[in-house]
Amino acid sequence: MNLSVTDHLFTLAIIMFFAGACFGLLFCKKHRAANTLSNLFCMAGSAMGTISVVFHLLKGGGPVTVLNSVPGIPNFSLQLKYDNLSAYFLLVLFILTFAVSLYSIGYISHYYGKRNVGIFNFLYCTFILSMMMVMLAGNLLTFFIAWELMSVVSYFLVVFEHERSENVKAGTVYIIMTHLGAALIMIAFMIMNVLTGETSIIGNGAFFTALPEAAKNACFLLLLVGFGTKAGIIPFHIWLPKAHPAASSNISALMSGFMIKTAIYGIVRFIICGFGGIKTWWGMTILILGIVAAVLGVAYALMEHNIKRLLAFHSIENIGIIFIGLGMGMIAYSKEYYPIAAVAIAAALFHTLNHALFKGGLFLGAGAIQYATHTRDIEQLGGLIKKMPVTAVFVLCFSLAISAIVPFNGFVSEWLTYQSIFAFIPKGSLCINMISIIAAAALAFAGALAAVCFVKLFGISFLGLPRSEHAGEAKEVPPTMLGGMGILAALCLVAGLFPKIILNLLDKVLIETAALKIYPNLSGGTVPVFSGLTVSGNKMSMIAILAVILALIAATVPAVRIIGGKADSRKYGTWDCGFVEINERMQYTATGFSKPIRIVFRILFRPSRTLAVKGEHPKYYPDKMEYKVGTVSVFEKYFYDVIIRGLHRFSQRVKLSVQTGSIHMYLSYILVTVLALMLYSRLF
Amino acid sequence: MIYIILQLIIIIGLAPLMNGIIRKIKAISQKRKGASVFQMYYDISKLMRKDMVVSDTASWIYTAAPYVVFGSTVAAALLVPVCATEGWLNSAFMGGDALVFLYTLALGRFFLMLAGLDTGSTFGGMGSSREGLISSLLEPSMLIGLFTLGLASGSLSISRMMAESTAKAVPVLNPAYIVIFIVMIIVLLAETCRIPVDDPATHLELTMVHEAMILEYSGRQLALMELAASVKQLIIMTLIVNMFFPITFALPAGAAGVALAILLYAARVMLLSVLIGIVEVCTVKLRFFSVPNLAAIAFILALFGFVNYFVLGR
Repeated sequence: MNLSVTDHLFTLAIIMFFAGACFGLLFCKKHRAANTLSNLFCMAGSAMGTISVVFHLLKGGGPVTVLNSVPGIPNFSLQLKYDNLSAYFLLVLFILTFAVSLYSIGYISHYYGKRNVGIFNFLYCTFILSMMMVMLAGNLLTFFIAWELMSVVSYFLVVFEHERSENVKAGTVYIIMTHLGAALIMIAFMIMNVLTGETSIIGNGAFFTALPEAAKNACFLLLLVGFGTKAGIIPFHIWLPKAHPAASSNISALMSGFMIKTAIYGIVRFIICGFGGIKTWWGMTILILGIVAAVLGVAYALMEHNIKRLLAFHSIENIGIIFIGLGMGMIAYSKEYYPIAAVAIAAALFHTLNHALFKGGLFLGAGAIQYATHTRDIEQLGGLIKKMPVTAVFVLCFSLAISAIVPFNGFVSEWLTYQSIFAFIPKGSLCINMISIIAAAALAFAGALAAVCFVKLFGISFLGLPRSEHAGEAKEVPPTMLGGMGILAALCLVAGLFPKIILNLLDKVLIETAALKIYPNLSGGTVPVFSGLTVSGNKMSMIAILAVILALIAATVPAVRIIGGKADSRKYGTWDCGFVEINERMQYTATGFSKPIRIVFRILFRPSRTLAVKGEHPKYYPDKMEYKVGTVSVFEKYFYDVIIRGLHRFSQRVKLSVQTGSIHMYLSYILVTVLALMLYSRLF
Repeated sequence: MIYIILQLIIIIGLAPLMNGIIRKIKAISQKRKGASVFQMYYDISKLMRKDMVVSDTASWIYTAAPYVVFGSTVAAALLVPVCATEGWLNSAFMGGDALVFLYTLALGRFFLMLAGLDTGSTFGGMGSSREGLISSLLEPSMLIGLFTLGLASGSLSISRMMAESTAKAVPVLNPAYIVIFIVMIIVLLAETCRIPVDDPATHLELTMVHEAMILEYSGRQLALMELAASVKQLIIMTLIVNMFFPITFALPAGAAGVALAILLYAARVMLLSVLIGIVEVCTVKLRFFSVPNLAAIAFILALFGFVNYFVLGR
């Protein structure tokens, strides 16, 4: 085993995170010291980790073993390894943790003296370590242990502010859902292990090719639902919009930015690479799930006024977009159009990084808003752009990026997804084509609705007049928090302007894991990082777009000046129709903003409104009016509630007929069981 | 390079004329004399010279928005060649990628909607909210339309699509094209706030969409916003005339050919604006909540067009 310097650096990174966890616990009583030290260690670890995985990706040269411990217990070994696929996901994780840790130094200060910051930092570092371990797991057992560890630690972080009952409820839903998923994954792992005798998952080639066809299909479905629950695809998404508002914002950023991506990693690792052969219907299933998640995710997001719930629903949308890319890639792969498959899967993985950058950033932005105004309700905000100008710029960048608007990174990955769909259509059958074109339409629709949603988020919370005292008295957040957001915003722009940096890394990932090359279809050469992208004759270069737009704006300013001459601008109140001066309550609200969409898609939202007039003679002299608007969570009401009610009824029936509490009945059960067993041993 | 400059001059120069023609048609239908077809040029040059009143609630978004909206709309205009001749098509910005076109327009729309919310006025929010619904409902139809045209030409580049149309004798008679043509007309009417969707002539708060978003603007900022809107209208018209009614005969080489091509282009877009004027005269404005029906029709037609392309031939 020959380890190079960068591999040692990786080990050092792991030690750094451990040190962060330990210092958190050691300085349990000194909140500032615990928080600062622990986060500094995390930043150091992330920086080292980033360097080492980038070098690994550039250098290549097969999987690297970090730890291989085989204790005397049969079938039990812990293996930590990383290949290019793991390295890419680790890169995403490290970039995110670096920014989030920097942000946390300032952000956690509102916990000082109120909560046990040491424990929080310990959990934070452990959470990062557990996510790393999922990426590093070299065999099924290690993967499952890491997966469980990640779920449990994140549960603790979700319920960290446990005195609020809704947080505890959210945590319960989360832990139940995630364990249902984990159970399915475990069944799949058992099938895979028993039928092939194979345990390794990282190495050369596919490990589970020996599985019979039926078992492969079963494992696909089990893994899809199992990982899908973690990813938050509809209809297994109900934990996401509950868990995110409960967790603090830096944790939400990690959970949404990376933890749900571990499911994408799982799907790529096991389904695309592991089985050594993909069926078309697998791709179709994933594609359809992606379409549903993309459209419904953003549609539900539009109805939310709690920033973090809104962002949680956008995570569902973005997972949908990733699924569309993966599904398209799998369909193309199964039909043996490898270059198209490479572009589609690369688009999905690229979007994974992009989503980590902008969604991580948006959650940090939501945290900054909450830090400054103590509220997460958009309806209480307004006018923050004047109070928090830097945060506003960053949140605007993230909003543009997530809406896939040029020149940010969201557009590049969606462009690649569109291109792969377009390239595949002439080759597919009519049935696949219909779904593909609907996927493209869904992508366009989701993008447009996301833009509306982020106009709402940014417009209502940052523009206009403050809608509450808190918003009026907001102050800019500390520089460390701005730094964390700034890093992510800058990376959003860099990844958008120089997509080839990422695509070069992805090329290495795909060559190693699936023997796919991106570049045959993505002509234009690998070397110049800033040259444009070209897929089957379609060209795109973000730098050129940005340059042209900036040049046009730069030309317009003097041109207008020359044509119009000097003109004065006068400050005056907003037009108030000649009545009393305009106040903050006359502004458009977030509810009003999304109302047209609520009405048009009422079948989806089932909106309700009640107007209660109170007073002695409510009809003529109302004292008080209450107006409530609500939407129904269709999936909870018509899917989960039905199941829960059914289970409840079943257990009631069992209680009445089987478990009656009568000792005689129990004795007779024992008798019957003993008789049956005797009979069984006699006969067989 | 020369083509890019020509393109800029033609698009920005001709755009206000289209509004003038449409208004003239409406005036004639009402037995009025109406304003001159060049009225919008006078309006813009007057607005450019006027002082501005800026709301004291507004932030830098409000000030930047007119420039971003105008810049991104004109950048999108560079992606749509006005004439389908070799030189024009080759000099289209980035080969005229259809997706870049859509998302560059989206940048302008994003800032336009933000500007509506920036002043804290109810009208602005109302306009932004409506614009958001209309644009997002029509985005899928437009995308499927462009995808179908792209499949026929084997590329998502708008120039290649135009070249393919020119190669076909009468593309609009092609089963896929004729359906997409109707889709594009609906998109044109909705994106440019024309009558079945929005009435550009009214300032009644119950109906306005685009006008509501730019209600607070004055002076040169308003001029830029208005000009950007008319440029956007002209680009979609350019798409339609060059995709569905291309010049199929050979043009003479050299400067004469270019001049002839420009003249023919101007004639075709003017005819199209006459057509839009007639549509505006003949239809009534839909209730806002009937617009989704129109969008649904557009979507279904776009899907039909897509299927037609495979079933009935290319």
